[in-house]
Amino acid sequence: MKFSRLIVQLLLVVAVITSIVLSFFIWTNTARYQRGRNIDVTSAESNKNEIPMNQVISPTQVMWHDETDQHLIYNSNTNISLSIQKVMQDWKIDEPKLVSKKDGAYYQKVIQSKNMIQMVYPTAITTNTLGSLLNNNSLKNDKGSQFNRILINLKNKKDQNIYLADDSNYSVYKAKVRNASAVPIAKLVKKANINLKVRLNIMKHGVFTFYVDPIKMKSYSYVISGKKDGEYTTALFDSNTSGLVTSEDNNIYTYNYGESKRLVSDHNTEELTFEDYTDTSVPKTQLAFMQRGYQKVVNLQNSVSNLRLYNADWKNKDLIFREYVEGFPIFKKSQFGSIRIKFSRKGSSEHFLNKVLEVPVPSNQAPTKLKSTNEIFKGLQRAGYSPNDVQAVEVGYQWESETENEKVVDLKPTYYIKIGNHWKPYDEWSNESAEED
Amino acid sequence: MDFRRIEVIFLIVFFSLDIFLFLSFRNSQQLVSSSSTNTSTTTEMRKRNISFGSLDTKNGSAYYLGSQPSDSLVQNVNKLRNQEVQYDNVNHKISSSLNNTIDITPADKKDVMDKFIKKESNVLYGKEYKYSPQLSTGSQMVYVATGKLGEIYDKTAQLIFTVTDDKVVAYTQTYVKSMIILHESQVIKSEKEVITNLYANSEIPNNSKISYANLAYTKLLEAKDSTIYIPVWFVTIKNKDSKVSTTKKVNAFTGNIIKSSTNGDSSYNAQQ
Repeated sequence: MKFSRLIVQLLLVVAVITSIVLSFFIWTNTARYQRGRNIDVTSAESNKNEIPMNQVISPTQVMWHDETDQHLIYNSNTNISLSIQKVMQDWKIDEPKLVSKKDGAYYQKVIQSKNMIQMVYPTAITTNTLGSLLNNNSLKNDKGSQFNRILINLKNKKDQNIYLADDSNYSVYKAKVRNASAVPIAKLVKKANINLKVRLNIMKHGVFTFYVDPIKMKSYSYVISGKKDGEYTTALFDSNTSGLVTSEDNNIYTYNYGESKRLVSDHNTEELTFEDYTDTSVPKTQLAFMQRGYQKVVNLQNSVSNLRLYNADWKNKDLIFREYVEGFPIFKKSQFGSIRIKFSRKGSSEHFLNKVLEVPVPSNQAPTKLKSTNEIFKGLQRAGYSPNDVQAVEVGYQWESETENEKVVDLKPTYYIKIGNHWKPYDEWSNESAEED
Repeated sequence: MDFRRIEVIFLIVFFSLDIFLFLSFRNSQQLVSSSSTNTSTTTEMRKRNISFGSLDTKNGSAYYLGSQPSDSLVQNVNKLRNQEVQYDNVNHKISSSLNNTIDITPADKKDVMDKFIKKESNVLYGKEYKYSPQLSTGSQMVYVATGKLGEIYDKTAQLIFTVTDDKVVAYTQTYVKSMIILHESQVIKSEKEVITNLYANSEIPNNSKISYANLAYTKLLEAKDSTIYIPVWFVTIKNKDSKVSTTKKVNAFTGNIIKSSTNGDSSYNAQQ
């Protein structure tokens, strides 16, 4: 009698515990189940030919410092910096800690260290943006320090760190990495087929990449494409194209959707401006700033793989994107690059060109030999610009439309110099050619 | 006594609750697996009697390739024996009729012709071509150019044998000498993405079989005296009733379906 009662009680206790355990599993599991569905939805959306964000916001230059010299490297068959980022996605990276700040001498030593691979962003991004790009949780939750260089030691096995460096205030951060191996990166370095000797110099307006010797650069040709205004209006006005008011004046077309949105398309210059007065929320974090900018860019142009974030001005909420060819930026006739996006309380604006590099074609032009950067500075001095006037120097590609074939554009390398906040090719500043005789 | 009865009732209630919880737990787990692997489209396709083998989900990478017209064929045409050869200067194409026809049967045609093209006096650069059953028909045996970077399915790099009454009587040949990489490699759509996309766009009818899905380079456009090639998925769908096959082409970079224009060339605009 007593024994059977004990069994009943025991079974009851077991049943209660089982039900608690099972409910616990179901609760945690439904969360997983819902997350799984979300992943499914996003993967279905990313099928829309979008370029991933870590390709648009990506380092454009890779430098390798061997035992003796520093080199700018590139592989024209596979993009090294994208491949390195793919390798880094499997790493466990701890929270970065500040090593030094505002110490120019130390900073120069760090960015010129031996056996270091260095990836350089055209503009500073924050650590939590990097976390989001690499899908790395500990970085994602970081407070968000700015940096524009990632440095990794490939030879010293004891140095299990990556270094983040910021040109604007000479800060260096150190982050411990686990689960990481330098071997795949060293392999990528060996495969580089473009190798230019460089030296990083600190000058009045920041860190400058000096090409020590004259550099031989390939020319490129691309078939360019543009879209009709109608395709932009469908993308930008959320298909509310029925209520559009169109007006035309001197080949400048204006599309209004009430008082809230406006697209101005200048068919003479092929420049377009879109203003959205309903988009009045200003991004609160730098990560949101970049994400929203990226969303707007892929909405405008969804098949471009050459586009990179070129400049992020957090203070003015202004983003500039440029097209790149083999690690070098393309300078078009416009001052703003390819796409410029600005957020403000009054609404957001998008400024863009209707000319996109579409298909690469073999170039029939011979490679160009450009002067060394020292020679360029000497030439500028002869023209009356002191090195302290120079805000930036960049080797970039000039956009030369071919008159007989408007669909094909030639890209010719030259030095671009920024003085007084204006980018111009070297020959326009100095009246001299940037090419080596 | 009363308390004991309550205990038993509780035991029954909790026991049935456990069963219910266990069943719903199992259900939700099944949902996880089905939603995360996105098998829904493929199971739907199987339900509609569309048969296909296992689909590769791996995203590879490929290039934009360029080639310049080559005169290699006309320069070596005197090496050919026992055939009458004509050369088309515009398309850089050899048309040859064989003096001695070759007997083939459906079973041995691949072996016979593979052996035939290996000899330089029969076919120039024959070793660089590979038989493609996907592109061949009853009256044509198509060999495609192969290279380090992949196969080319295009009129500009093909060897086509004309078959009449189980005899190979003639062939035409085009040749691409070398391909250059024009742009760093880019990620391409996987086989599975392409086929589910074709299905979603109603390009695969019910009651059919996907007989081939191959990735190859094909001509996109000509510019500056060069031919530009892009990777394209060639998917052949065979209707199980009528036995008619159609081949769909999908741009492997963008995933867009390429509609063929009337002259058979994929026009440039199809890329958009």
